[in-house]
Amino acid sequence: MSNSNSLIGNAKGHYETVFNTLPRVEMLVVNDWWWTASCEYADVVFPVDSWAEFKHLDVTASVTNPFLSVFPRTPLERIHDTRSDIETSAGVAAALSELTGDERFARMWHFVGEGRVDVYLQRILNASSMARGIDVLAAEERAKNGVPTILLSRTYPKSVGWEQAYESRPWYTRTGRLELYRDEPEFRAAGECLPVHREPVDATFHEPNVIVAKPHPAIRPKGPADYGVDAGVLDGETRQARNVVRPWAEVEATKHPLTTRDPAYRYVFHTPKYRHGAHTTPVDTDIVAVWFGPFGDLMRRDRRTPFVTESYIEVHPDDARELGCQDGDYVWVDADPEDRPFHGWQQRPEDYHIARLLCRLRFYPGTPRGVTRMWHNMYGATPGSVRGQETDSRGLARNPETGYQALFRTGSHQSCTRGYLRPTQMTDSLVRKNLHTQVLGAGFEVDVHGPTGAPRESLVKITRAEPGGIGGKGAWRPVELGLTPGNESPALKQFIAGSFVQVAKGGS
Amino acid sequence: MSKVGNWQLGREMEFPYEGARPARQIAYVFDTNKCIACQTCSIACKTTWTSGKGQEHVFYNNVESKPYGFFPHGWDVHLLEKLGTGRWSGGTYEGKTVFEAAAPNERVLGYAPDEADYASPNLGEDVIAGTIERGAFFQGIHRAWMFYLARICNHCTYPACLAACPRKAIYKRPEDGIVLIDQSRCRGYRECLKACPYKKVFYNAITRVSEKCIGCYPLIERGEQPQCVQTCIGKIRLQGFLSPPGSERADNPLDYLVRIRKVALPLYPQFGTEPNVYYVPPLHVPRDFLAQAFGPGVEEAAAAYRSAPTDRELLGALLLFGNTPRILHRFRAEAEEAIGYDAEDREVVRVPYTEPFFAREFFDRKNDVYRHNVT
Ligand code: SF4
Ligand code: SF4
Repeated sequence: MSNSNSLIGNAKGHYETVFNTLPRVEMLVVNDWWWTASCEYADVVFPVDSWAEFKHLDVTASVTNPFLSVFPRTPLERIHDTRSDIETSAGVAAALSELTGDERFARMWHFVGEGRVDVYLQRILNASSMARGIDVLAAEERAKNGVPTILLSRTYPKSVGWEQAYESRPWYTRTGRLELYRDEPEFRAAGECLPVHREPVDATFHEPNVIVAKPHPAIRPKGPADYGVDAGVLDGETRQARNVVRPWAEVEATKHPLTTRDPAYRYVFHTPKYRHGAHTTPVDTDIVAVWFGPFGDLMRRDRRTPFVTESYIEVHPDDARELGCQDGDYVWVDADPEDRPFHGWQQRPEDYHIARLLCRLRFYPGTPRGVTRMWHNMYGATPGSVRGQETDSRGLARNPETGYQALFRTGSHQSCTRGYLRPTQMTDSLVRKNLHTQVLGAGFEVDVHGPTGAPRESLVKITRAEPGGIGGKGAWRPVELGLTPGNESPALKQFIAGSFVQVAKGGS
Repeated sequence: MSKVGNWQLGREMEFPYEGARPARQIAYVFDTNKCIACQTCSIACKTTWTSGKGQEHVFYNNVESKPYGFFPHGWDVHLLEKLGTGRWSGGTYEGKTVFEAAAPNERVLGYAPDEADYASPNLGEDVIAGTIERGAFFQGIHRAWMFYLARICNHCTYPACLAACPRKAIYKRPEDGIVLIDQSRCRGYRECLKACPYKKVFYNAITRVSEKCIGCYPLIERGEQPQCVQTCIGKIRLQGFLSPPGSERADNPLDYLVRIRKVALPLYPQFGTEPNVYYVPPLHVPRDFLAQAFGPGVEEAAAAYRSAPTDRELLGALLLFGNTPRILHRFRAEAEEAIGYDAEDREVVRVPYTEPFFAREFFDRKNDVYRHNVT
């Protein structure tokens, strides 16, 4: 695994993983070309070549790209003492052979040692309906000259469903037709025979995960009573599999159980991906990070800023004012205290100090009131980065031992998320296509039928922590300048109205 | 002061030097409708030219969200406020330019940004004018608006930076109109910084002289478009050369888009520098804001742009964006494809109007494999 920030650094419920799961993991080994949060928690980190440094040929493909992505071998010297990630696997296998006397470990990676990984790549291409016929070495030659290799899909542009729509070929279902009604027992029990709407499992103002529907003969799930559970039990574990149907008129009148307990929990918190860095993009180079939102400053005038930029939560200006916040203030963001940032935080104040989300608040009028947003994949705080910020004279949230650079003072956007499972993504009976063939199978299959992710949102409470001005004094400078939404100077208002010019129609 | 012709204002104006147009003028068209604010251009430029010490705050290229984005903070609001309300009558600007509005002891009306104004280069990213109410996205048309404005030095025909320099350290190359600062003549007085209405000159505290976008002239001299153009993910940019007014050629893509079809407009033409980055205005933004930013031709430009799908010539010119590293000096719109030619009139790019569709045989006999659209 290379560039693995999303492996641990961006796991939903990251601090649950860090403080409750990892201590029970015997050994963690990470291959990486960037010191991500995953490396922070590894026992061993193998430094591996980045895409630009490959000494072994590699190719990859993705569903949305019509071309084979080819990474030709570079003639450049390695900058650091790195290896290709395939070499680390081969090296571990060779050591296992030595330890066990079983030659098969080493033989698995035979062509790596010979510098002929093209043999493996060619085998993979030959076994793929879209790549068979492509010569991998010829593709490498073309790539060196900037000429792409197109995948051999049935049509170009590749349009999924084209064969079914234009040639009456069967869909990848039991009947071969598009199936809009599921009669597997798990779907019947869940009340999901028909496509239904469930309220989000956490990020809703109302009763979570409830099926919103009027009474319907095809929506008759097994409810809490059928499982011997009290219908009023709504905790995070139970409600993942709670099948309750209510019409909207009823749902609308309900409240999220967290809000009932504490009305301050009333903001939906989304953590979508951002244009400046997805899960596999390093974002801790300064000239990239400085574009990451409005709080970038390469000069770091405010020493509280963890790096040359930092993460922030976007809140509707009217909500922010209600919270007593000005644009640029620091705030605490807390999700359900029962399980976040990790189970048992109440007894572990030192770990909680690292895991609790502290960030800037930004006035953002582009989402409705009650809905907030924080972008995904800014590097989260780790014990080392927090120590760095508290001991470094410049205030950088950088681990003094590893150099890991966080974009948060404490916590991360994953302080407020957690994993929830969906029973209908985990059946043993659903008939679906196998991953890499045209053959049908049933039940779990990687990337086809299984839990493919966790909700990236939750319900939170926001509390003002510090003023936004430099060193915590006064307001953030752009507010003083009258340049932010809700704080417009008269000149900015005139500018937005476009009234600095007048256009008279017709000739002069 | 002399009188020079500024076609963007539809009149003559005051300028401290004699007007001297280059043989051909470097020019760019940026289609704002296609920009996604990825900042790839900003990073490409930064890593190429300004990654050194003293250049931390320097972005020759930046992309800002309008109306709340500015680099440096509030630059255009400040200048518009200083200039006062201007008036266009037909195609003629009746207000004052930065040269005409200058105080008696100055050559240019301007201001010196505070150092802190260069913090947060992405201030205002994605912020909309207006607010979104609950449910608004399900009601059809969005009244809220914003757009991305990619900015570089405009290599102005009448550069305010050049006009303001007391040492004549700034010059405009006669062969292509690129505006450069002679680093050995510059003494770091920063008059150019104050004068440039677009705030595209920067002061380097380590070298103690000023610096600015050099139009990637080493690439231009090889017949290639600049870094920010070549690396643009959204293919929003085309760089070429404008012919002097009066000798426009309909087969020169820049002349065609800017002077003939008028689909791309200068940014703040009222400042009077005759800037040479031309923008296809964003279609969804209120007209008053657009006229303030791009002059009185915005409706005409939007109408031309909207007609592109059925206008082969215009479509052809627009499709050449981002499809070749070479500078195009001529283009031709054929029945199915647009073709671009370099300075030697060699064909360097050919772009089809519609994406070709291709269906392979279901069974590929040669390779013994069935072809599918799902692996
Ligand atoms: S944009 Fe500014 S720096 Fe560039 S030529 Fe014009 S006045 Fe000079
Ligand atoms: S690279 Fe192109 S699309 Fe991306 S921000 Fe720059 S101009 Fe816009």
